Amino acid sequence: MNPITFEDLQAPLFVAWQINSACNLECLHCCEEAGHRIPGELNKQEVFHFLQQIVELNIPYVAISGGEPFLHPHFFTICEFLSKHNISIKVETNGEFIDEEKAKKIAQLRFRSVQISLDGATASTHERLRLRGDWNKAVSACRLLIKKGVNTEIVFVPTKFNIQEIGQLIDLAYSLGVYGIYTGKIMRIGRAAKNWDILCPSEKDYESFFKTLNDKVDYYDGKMKVYYYPYDVIEELKYRLKFPAASLLVLPNGKVKLIGPLPFICGDLKKQSLTEVWQNYKRAWRNPKVIEFAQRVIANPKLLAESNRWRKV
Amino acid sequence: MTFAEYVKIRQEKFGAVIFETLKEKIFVTNKTGKAILNLLNQGYSLDKIIANLTDNYEADMAEIIKNDVVTFINQLKDNNILLNDSSNPITQ
Repeated sequence: MNPITFEDLQAPLFVAWQINSACNLECLHCCEEAGHRIPGELNKQEVFHFLQQIVELNIPYVAISGGEPFLHPHFFTICEFLSKHNISIKVETNGEFIDEEKAKKIAQLRFRSVQISLDGATASTHERLRLRGDWNKAVSACRLLIKKGVNTEIVFVPTKFNIQEIGQLIDLAYSLGVYGIYTGKIMRIGRAAKNWDILCPSEKDYESFFKTLNDKVDYYDGKMKVYYYPYDVIEELKYRLKFPAASLLVLPNGKVKLIGPLPFICGDLKKQSLTEVWQNYKRAWRNPKVIEFAQRVIANPKLLAESNRWRKV
Repeated sequence: MTFAEYVKIRQEKFGAVIFETLKEKIFVTNKTGKAILNLLNQGYSLDKIIANLTDNYEADMAEIIKNDVVTFINQLKDNNILLNDSSNPITQ
């Protein structure tokens, strides 16, 4: 059997859906630059038209992020719909709106997981990076979810401010009973690109970070998943130029991005069906304009700052 | 035998895609694999799957098919796609 590529698939296997842009925080490293409202976000009718197509195309896995997804007025209705149709749901959240009642509901809906951003082993570190954030609420959300039997994951983004706390954070994650902790190099996109000089850790910091991670991977082997992606966004882009993912990145307004680090929009779910968007996505990866721009980004990573200045392809 | 809770299977022209969404691992299989997955999804036992697939073949060919089915099912089990117990519902 010949190797299968994304072009052989009738539909994406995964949808990463930024459901809203509203957020209660203003994180210095937010790759979506969330916190402000994007004009023309999908309304309820458009949202359910999109969901219906996800079901019809048998897309098995949807990751919902934001903004802060729990601020979306129809968040649970959407999750109920996906759950009813046996689609795996992962939710990426700051955790601050998860109380006992919501944790119970999440457990009933059998989410694949809830991923909570915890950017420090201490409140002061976490809150220095996640402006207006509340570390205690995020940790409390982990506890509530775990108590209800929800697969709970922690995501940590390393910066100059917090990179030294990774070992301590992994130990904390284990003591909380999380399913896994995920990290990797900070991505130079969105607000992180704007704040790059104050955020980007040094090579020496990264060296020590990855050494700690390797030690912790061994230490927690079989007890808790400690996963890190060792490549930066440029390495990822080089790889994706050769092997595009079988996934779509859907923005709050229904526009579909080719990939996070590039500014290209390959479809609009307000005007096109999901199948049409998928075909556009496949074509876009072979578009010379996309390849040329991606190669310029690879040569000059400062161009990553343009990732949220969308352009049609 | 049942599929693990977060395993999703999608039929494709070339066969099928098995997506273990908890571990985020993807496996692909050809049309024969797809046929086996369909039978598993209908609740067939190993013996019934083998009987179903070898029905129209001579004994020596049937033996080859039987070995392939056993190998395929063992691979599914090794990757926690398929479980022996009946506590989890089949998902597709």
